[in-house]
Amino acid sequence: MTMLPQRGPEARKMGLVIDLDTCVGCHACAVNCKEWNTGGEAGILPDYDKYGEKPDGVWFNRIHSYETGSDGCSRTVNFPRSCLHCENPLCVTVCPTGASFKRAEDGIVLIDTDLCIGCKLCSWACPYGAREFDEDSGVMRKCTLCIDRIYDESLPEAEREPACVATCPAKARHFGDLADPHSKVSQLVAQRGGTDLLEELGYRPTNKYLPPRRAQIQTTPRETSGAASQGIGGALLKLLDKALSR
Amino acid sequence: MKPAASVLLLTTLTGFAYGLLTWLGLYVAAGAPPAARLLVLAGVGVGLILATLGLIASTLHLGRKERAWRAFSQWRSSWLSREGLAAVLTYPIALAFAWAQYRAPGSPAARSLGVVTALASLGTVYCTAMIYASLKPIRQWHNRHTAPDYLIYALYSGATLFALLHTLAFGTAALAATLAALGALCALIAKLAYWRHVDAQSPIASLASAIGLPKGTAARPLDAPHFTENFILREMGFQVARRHAAKLRRIALVVAFALPLIFSLLARLGTFPLASSALAVACAALGLLTERWLFFAQATHVSALYYGRAV
Repeated sequence: MTMLPQRGPEARKMGLVIDLDTCVGCHACAVNCKEWNTGGEAGILPDYDKYGEKPDGVWFNRIHSYETGSDGCSRTVNFPRSCLHCENPLCVTVCPTGASFKRAEDGIVLIDTDLCIGCKLCSWACPYGAREFDEDSGVMRKCTLCIDRIYDESLPEAEREPACVATCPAKARHFGDLADPHSKVSQLVAQRGGTDLLEELGYRPTNKYLPPRRAQIQTTPRETSGAASQGIGGALLKLLDKALSR
Repeated sequence: MKPAASVLLLTTLTGFAYGLLTWLGLYVAAGAPPAARLLVLAGVGVGLILATLGLIASTLHLGRKERAWRAFSQWRSSWLSREGLAAVLTYPIALAFAWAQYRAPGSPAARSLGVVTALASLGTVYCTAMIYASLKPIRQWHNRHTAPDYLIYALYSGATLFALLHTLAFGTAALAATLAALGALCALIAKLAYWRHVDAQSPIASLASAIGLPKGTAARPLDAPHFTENFILREMGFQVARRHAAKLRRIALVVAFALPLIFSLLARLGTFPLASSALAVACAALGLLTERWLFFAQATHVSALYYGRAV
């Protein structure tokens, strides 16, 4: 059913809060996601040309690194990208078969791979590039928010969280109910000014990103500029630098 | 966006097909001569065969072709589902129309079925167009040009085909060639207006907003998540060199619109009407395929922002 469910304001919104301030860009979340989901209920996540020149495959989580800022005061922002389980997911409504759906009870966006015809239209409808096509089984795949972990009562309660959250060594990923204002994730969003990605497109993502904080430690530029070293000493140093740089 | 052969063939072939069915329906509704019985019958046959070829082509890119029937189920939310239903519904309507016109040419039943055939055909084209027009992440598709343009190209290409069939039946292209020439002119203007619109558009989002940073923050890619292409880059990150695109645009303008305009006028004036109207169809087909290739190749997807691409 690709019509969106009627969800009241009290409906749970399970999702992630990702802290761009503490993410170190180690890709552990992506690797553990791949590991869990290739063996979990979602089945094999394929890899193509594994040991060849152009290895490729389906991953639910991709870690980018960006440089932000200008005028020599730039910083690195590591950015994990995965499905945001939007409240207004165009990927669901464009699906012609009913394979894509949003769960009424917790807002998780899923694909029923037994119904999917592999038309790829949902991947076109997602501005976040969160859906990847499985060439081996001919169906679309996406993040399930580890639905086979978070509700598994055979796991100790502390482990009932998505694989990416469980593995993050920097504790940059948090999981919880974003509809509950008292939840840890909602309070993080409130304290740190959590933001929506591509808010202007109106998908109303559930997952939030905490922006990098301003640097607390004052640093001075380490490289001295050319103007600082003048005179014969400076000229000699420049010559030495040139010779050594060869 | 990757210009997949399946969707290029689908949209071009169904454009010809449903455009032709529309003109045949209107032709009969407006009072076609009884002698046009066979023309309408053959025309509906040609239209439905072309539509079928287009629809078969569209299933070629499916990952699970055997499940294609499931695509008829979600018409309440999905334009792709609506397109499938409209295409299937057009078959019995067009067949009933052809049969009615064959048994009792010009009868009220044939005339009204002609109008219904035209509406069903245009409705199918509209659904196809809305698949693209409804995709917010692609600014070159999600705009007010896409839906009317698809209808214009369908009516235009269908008119060239109608003129060819009319010439085959009666030896002259008559009014059909005038329609084709007018269609070529309208399509040319529509395409120029579309290019003008998309070339003047500003990006719908920036990398800063894509990664949740305040607007205006300078951001540039440092490390990509992977060092080879993945599905997102192959499907959504298709790039065409600007100078190639400019050349292809000129080719599309000449082959898709200018040449068919000239050939249709020649056919109208009675200069080798058969050869002229056949050339108009051939040029329109090749040119519209080029135009459709550009419609995909020059469309940019917001998700490519994450890889540092301009969108």
